[in-house]
Amino acid sequence: MLIISIILIPVILTVLPMFIGRIRLLGLINASGYLVLLAACGFFFKDYSAKGSPGINLWGWAYIDSLSVFFLLITAIVSFAASVYSIGYICLEVEESKISTRKARAYFQLFNLFSLAMLMVPLLNNLALVWIAIEMTTLISAFLVGFHNVKESIEAAWKYIIICSVGITFALLGIIFFYYTSSKDAGVNSLEWVSVLSRSGAFDPKIVKLALIFIIVGYGTKAGLAPMHNWLPDAHSQALSPISGLLSGVLIKISLYAILRFVMLANLSIGYAYSAKLFILFGLVSIVIASTFIIVQKDLKRLLAYSSVENIGLISLGLGFGPFGGIFAALLQAFNHAVTKALMFFCAGEAVRVYRTNNMNQMQGMIKIMPFTGIAMFLGFFALVGMPPFSIFISKLSILICAFEGGYYLVAAAMLIFIALAFAGLLYHIARVVLRNKPQAMPLQKEPLSLKIALLFLGAFILGFGLIIPKDFLNLLVNCQQLILGR
Amino acid sequence: MTEIFILIGFLIITFLLVVAKRITALVRTFRVQAVLLSLYVFYMGFSQRHVELLVVCALILILKAAVIPFVLLRVTRRIKVDEDLGLLVNPQVSLVIALGLAYLSYLFAHSAMSLGKTAELAAFITAITAVCVGFFIMVSRMKALGQIVGLLVMENGIFLAASAIAGGMPFFVEIALFFDIFVFVIILEVFVYKVNRLFTHIDTSRMKELKG
Repeated sequence: MLIISIILIPVILTVLPMFIGRIRLLGLINASGYLVLLAACGFFFKDYSAKGSPGINLWGWAYIDSLSVFFLLITAIVSFAASVYSIGYICLEVEESKISTRKARAYFQLFNLFSLAMLMVPLLNNLALVWIAIEMTTLISAFLVGFHNVKESIEAAWKYIIICSVGITFALLGIIFFYYTSSKDAGVNSLEWVSVLSRSGAFDPKIVKLALIFIIVGYGTKAGLAPMHNWLPDAHSQALSPISGLLSGVLIKISLYAILRFVMLANLSIGYAYSAKLFILFGLVSIVIASTFIIVQKDLKRLLAYSSVENIGLISLGLGFGPFGGIFAALLQAFNHAVTKALMFFCAGEAVRVYRTNNMNQMQGMIKIMPFTGIAMFLGFFALVGMPPFSIFISKLSILICAFEGGYYLVAAAMLIFIALAFAGLLYHIARVVLRNKPQAMPLQKEPLSLKIALLFLGAFILGFGLIIPKDFLNLLVNCQQLILGR
Repeated sequence: MTEIFILIGFLIITFLLVVAKRITALVRTFRVQAVLLSLYVFYMGFSQRHVELLVVCALILILKAAVIPFVLLRVTRRIKVDEDLGLLVNPQVSLVIALGLAYLSYLFAHSAMSLGKTAELAAFITAITAVCVGFFIMVSRMKALGQIVGLLVMENGIFLAASAIAGGMPFFVEIALFFDIFVFVIILEVFVYKVNRLFTHIDTSRMKELKG
């Protein structure tokens, strides 16, 4: 019943804009729909943090365990925040006649299709269907990246589709290798998660290793792991701001979910050590490249996009320290980064709307022009770089502790250096945007109420999880860790 | 023996793809490759008495040999830009590179997989060659349409690999994949029109609005 409502809500909300013309009403209905969806995911969360036994649903099409619930929760929380922020954002875009009413309605349809595709990924029971759902997220969100139909956004959308499709084609090759060994060595002629997992101990280790490389490179492209990240700064900076939040907050983690599923399959035949090596390799490359680019950025949204690459690198490193509790830390970091980055993108979106530019040299004194958003952005920045009492502090620290516990001293040292670099770069840029004197001609701006609500909602998670992490949530994460390590 | 002949044809067509200088030539060669792929699947289905594979064969014929080439040729006609593919690497060198890729695929197939039957091995080498050549077309042909065809060639290779080593994917997965490829081509068609309208060309090496 719950699972049907999770699928049905976005479907209904996709159809609705055909009949409702008033944009504000449409936005309100959209947001309340996502509130219901969030509640449904909350029920799942309550179920699975307690017992944690996986369930098969919808006549074998859906499979839910703690890991799916965790990713469903991230998707539901950030989608709800984005749907609230969309009300004010789209209304203002229409009022300033940047987009027509017809396009605004198309926006809500695409938004829902995009969320639907993302929600399907953790639910589906079939590895090939998960692949198709991820490809669909690319194809749908490309329209939201190229929404304004100007040169920059269309270029970004084109790059996005082409690079991600190539990546995901490699992932398909990886799936075929998995299928080959599962049908030949384990005798399972299907890609259904339950049946494949139960026989995965019989896989041929040589082919599994090969397949895993294709999977991590392929889905890693979509997850924004360097050096396959080239499309990410373009797409995340050109997309509409509520969508940027979804892309950076949720979509890259959803691809990580797909990687984790295959890592779980590989565990029983080759153990976790091999996957851990790959995770550490890609994680290191990502934080090195991202922190270097953070320093030289001029564009606010690109800055945040590169920070996403840095964070996905950190998460990947955390997964690499898996046997030492790193998976727990990495998943916590994934959650914290999702809410924090969504908040930062919403603030940045408001700044871009008011200053009419992405260039940080022309954005000054945000705190005087938009006090609420400015303060939120500054606090969000402290949260993003991992200052206490905010939530990322805890998860970053846990990843670091895991690195030391595992004896990865060099990796930990490199991690510290590049985190510090990224911190310096972000501090320099964000402090200038928020704190410097405002331009003379700029009056105090009215900030949309929907934006404030979305920021407060996300802020509650950022501060709340920094002060105290709910026990149920910890249970869920521990369950996920046990699932992935196969214990 | 028959399947070896089909595979040799498939391989030759794969090499011809990198020699093509014009978009229309590339699309037409791709169509021949799709026909050969469907022939291979038909042969597999016929010899193994697999009805599902025959359906897949029909779908490949309809989608990859008819609908997709039709869509791509229609785009080429409508946008009225010059049909040159914008080769970064000239055909002669491309051919040498393609041969090198085929040899690498051969080495890869030998070392990575322990495939018993000669026919299986041959099919797998051909498939990996097609994937590599498709990727090579994507990075060395600068026109947007060339990149789409490159991706479709990669996908052809993967289909061949699936039906060669794994005896085809589960039936409904194949159907879902066809649907996915269809949607992919239609959406990219829309974006080619948009790129052409805004940039007045479809040369991706000249798209330089975003940097850093």
